[in-house]
Amino acid sequence: MQPEQQPADATDPAALHPNWVADDHLINLLRHNAREHGDEIAMREREYGIWQEYTWKDYLDRVLCFAAGLDALGVKPEDNILVIGDNRPGLYFGMVGAVALRAVPSPAYPDTTPEEIAGHMEREGIRFALAEDQEQVDKLMGIRANGYDALQQIIYDDPRGLAGKEPAGVVAFNDIVERGRERLRERPGLEDDILGRASVHDIAVLLHSSGTTGAPKGVPLKHGHVLSGVRNAAAAGYFREGEVHMAYLPMAWVGDFIFSIGAALALRFTVNIPERQETALHDLREIAPTLYFSSPRAWSNMLTRIQVGIDESTLFKRMLYELFMPFAVELERRRLDGEQPTALQRFWRGLGEILVYGPIKDQLGLARVERPYTAGEAIGEDVFLYFRALGLNLRQFYGQTENCALACAQDPDTIKLHTVGKPFPGVEIKLDDQGEILIRGDNVFDGYYQNPKSTAETLQDGWLHTGDAGYLEEDGQVVVLGRVSEVVYTAAGERFIPTYIENRLKFSQYIKDVCILGQDRDSLAALVAIDMSAVGHWAEENNIPYTSFADLSQKPAVYELIQGVIEHVNGVLPDGLQIRRFVNLHKEFDPDDGEVTRTRKLRRSVIDAHYAPIIDALYDGSESVDYEAQITYETGESGVLKRHLTVADVPPAAEK
Amino acid sequence: MFYRLSGVHHTRYETARQIWPVPTDRRVVYILLALALAAPLYLPDLYLSSYVLPWLVWSAAALSLTLLMGIAGQLHFGFAAVMAIGAYSSIHLARAGVPFELALIGAGVITAVIGTLFGAAALRVKGLYLVMATLAMQYLVDWVIINVPAISGGAQATLNTPEVSFLFMPLSGTGLYYGALLWAVIVTVFVLNIKRTSFGRALVAIRDKDYAAAVIGVNPFKYKLLAFFTASFLGGISGAVLAFCYYQAVTPEQFGFNVSIQLVAMVLVGGLGSVIGAYLGAGFVLLAPMFLTNAVAYLAVWGVLPLSSSLLAHIPLMVYGLLIVGFILFEPLGLAKIYDNIRKYFLVWPFRHTQS
Repeated sequence: MQPEQQPADATDPAALHPNWVADDHLINLLRHNAREHGDEIAMREREYGIWQEYTWKDYLDRVLCFAAGLDALGVKPEDNILVIGDNRPGLYFGMVGAVALRAVPSPAYPDTTPEEIAGHMEREGIRFALAEDQEQVDKLMGIRANGYDALQQIIYDDPRGLAGKEPAGVVAFNDIVERGRERLRERPGLEDDILGRASVHDIAVLLHSSGTTGAPKGVPLKHGHVLSGVRNAAAAGYFREGEVHMAYLPMAWVGDFIFSIGAALALRFTVNIPERQETALHDLREIAPTLYFSSPRAWSNMLTRIQVGIDESTLFKRMLYELFMPFAVELERRRLDGEQPTALQRFWRGLGEILVYGPIKDQLGLARVERPYTAGEAIGEDVFLYFRALGLNLRQFYGQTENCALACAQDPDTIKLHTVGKPFPGVEIKLDDQGEILIRGDNVFDGYYQNPKSTAETLQDGWLHTGDAGYLEEDGQVVVLGRVSEVVYTAAGERFIPTYIENRLKFSQYIKDVCILGQDRDSLAALVAIDMSAVGHWAEENNIPYTSFADLSQKPAVYELIQGVIEHVNGVLPDGLQIRRFVNLHKEFDPDDGEVTRTRKLRRSVIDAHYAPIIDALYDGSESVDYEAQITYETGESGVLKRHLTVADVPPAAEK
Repeated sequence: MFYRLSGVHHTRYETARQIWPVPTDRRVVYILLALALAAPLYLPDLYLSSYVLPWLVWSAAALSLTLLMGIAGQLHFGFAAVMAIGAYSSIHLARAGVPFELALIGAGVITAVIGTLFGAAALRVKGLYLVMATLAMQYLVDWVIINVPAISGGAQATLNTPEVSFLFMPLSGTGLYYGALLWAVIVTVFVLNIKRTSFGRALVAIRDKDYAAAVIGVNPFKYKLLAFFTASFLGGISGAVLAFCYYQAVTPEQFGFNVSIQLVAMVLVGGLGSVIGAYLGAGFVLLAPMFLTNAVAYLAVWGVLPLSSSLLAHIPLMVYGLLIVGFILFEPLGLAKIYDNIRKYFLVWPFRHTQS
């Protein structure tokens, strides 16, 4: 079950990283925290309206007992253990417990379909699964009933709907913990035995690349990778010791493992878990973390929320906001250009901090955030400037699952809008001849899970080929343009990266998703999914009645609105790359339909297939199209809905 | 703007249910308390003894009444009589040599017993009829006090309060002020907390619908009597404190029918069932006429109001009446609701409503 190594002759994992110290692993860090800081809070979860706290001692105790119980179930080293569900302390303890036994937690997104989970389990030979609640247990039971016999035990955390009525092969997390506690009491040497098993060369987690093309690839990260990634980042001032961190992003995402387990153990974070996904924003305010990560999309949603809130606010408050906010944004823009604010401007900004910026940060729960971050895709300039103007030191970082997501980040002093900053200390970055970004360092993984072919393509001479096109600025800052594989050409031979244009369009609050077409065509066209909340609010303001998303998207006024956004973006695009026609889709792109990944990256082949009639209409000059939408319901059933969609032209900039 | 809520989280239900879960509110309370404690240092004696002191005592009385009217929903138009019983009982007890601390409690108990007796009789009826019954209590008590010389010392007599000390400190000078403040704080804490007890919830259930309360197992008769008992107890001691700390000499007229109506006005203008409303209502009913009279007098002196002196004397009353009508018209829930609106305006700043 050992993943293929690079180079192939390295049979001993220790030989691969001679500089790693064998005892320097996550379990020892946990042990150290429990010994030295046992009464400090390691984790909080909001449950039944109040925050339940776990100290480092509790943390170690749960992990140890769970590991002892898991050991009794017959979990062997290098067994992959499926972890599926929303963030819960039980799942984190379970993951670390598995790691103590040298087994490998393999987290999956909780909204993954049963088919995808079945594929995941078969590829990785899953025998044990740790599931959040009854819903996930049902999903796994279904997979077992459909012929996946290898699944021996399902362990569930949330007892609701399951306690006392467990089907065969399903057992409660707490029962395992109690069983483990019993074993530890009976065998005094077991505790040291379990805690002494792990090594820095063990795989700590098996993550999955998002898989914009084909099935996801397993990315095994070892203790050493995770820790060197975290320590590199800490050395760059990116994390501090004892941060208050909010664990609300999916556990299957590399960042959550790095932040909530890796960095949390290495730097003694207090990890806070919201009651539910829906209450995350409310719970965020109760905790007021010092470290906050959010995707560009979430930052942009937050900005929309503020703007909608201000639009609805009372006259005086709105006037104050209009007085102070544009001022701060302009000040921040000048500051990034290297201009120092005058004393008067500083005073005015201080006044705004009391009247506007401070209260807004407080309302959002960002009042104590010192290190806010974003990554994953490009962030809109407006959004970026806005939050920096609020006084949040928002910074972008850059990385992939393959390098623990920690490769480079913007330096607080030399932030430039278009770059993702400099590599962390201990990380090397260079470009190959095609302009692809290559990364080397101790945080770069050792190869894909049972996939020597992909490993050989990705890892060459220790350099990770990221697949991103970019360039280095003179001062060493990295600029990312887009995926190398995404570079496409129009029929006229114009070269462009669709994502680049899409991101520029998505900087508008009215557009939630957009897909740019144009490969081997004469001109570009766009499939637009409007942002329901922003456009809906705009429609209410402008007295446009609507019923549903589909109805709203087809309003002529909404077409004009979107057309304005596209014309604006066309203004910065070269002549051959202007968007000429577009369609407002009747729905958002949905991961359940396979149109976007769980992390909301477009799957272009699926979109091309789903919307073929619309795409034809875009290029054959017709003014509208009747489309039969295939709908996949959450139950897995599918249906057909007929839609009549308008196709709109965007006049060339010259004619205006 | 002033309210910062981020980072406020609770790990136990006890802290989540504290009286002021918002730190800013707690700070406001601390500041007010500190200002009240230091008042003798910065307020002239005149203001302290003729404005702030009576305001505190009347607030305590209004709080006692709001417990009955606002929380338990039982109208009472004879609360001045309740205070009168407390005032006269405490003076007679103190004169008989009972230590002042015990005299206060004794006065409270006597008032509670008499108040409950009337309550029990009155509880056969509801609404307007209850108003009539409590009015009867007002007149009965007035009549008894005036016509029994053993109580009042005679129809026209003034009964002086004896020299007393409270907890070994003589009750005089600023001691009078601190005595009133202490009582106001005790009643405030009591009423704030009573809303969170099963007793308070039972009272609220009866207020909302007494037979619905009976259906869910709250005995309306028992709890109505308890409400009368508690409110009369607090009202009696408030009357005693008023007598000892402010009037220092009592006559039956000080507890007449018009005083009962003023007390009801305090509760209504302040906001039924609200603690801060009792303070605001007492302040308004007590201080607004004084302020208006002064203002009109100033205007007359400067010649802005060229009116006859008999009309001038009535202008404050007219404005005062207009203000009460205005408050009831624009904010039927009283001054407390106006305060609440202002607080919420700042609580959600700079938005219109909460964002999360």
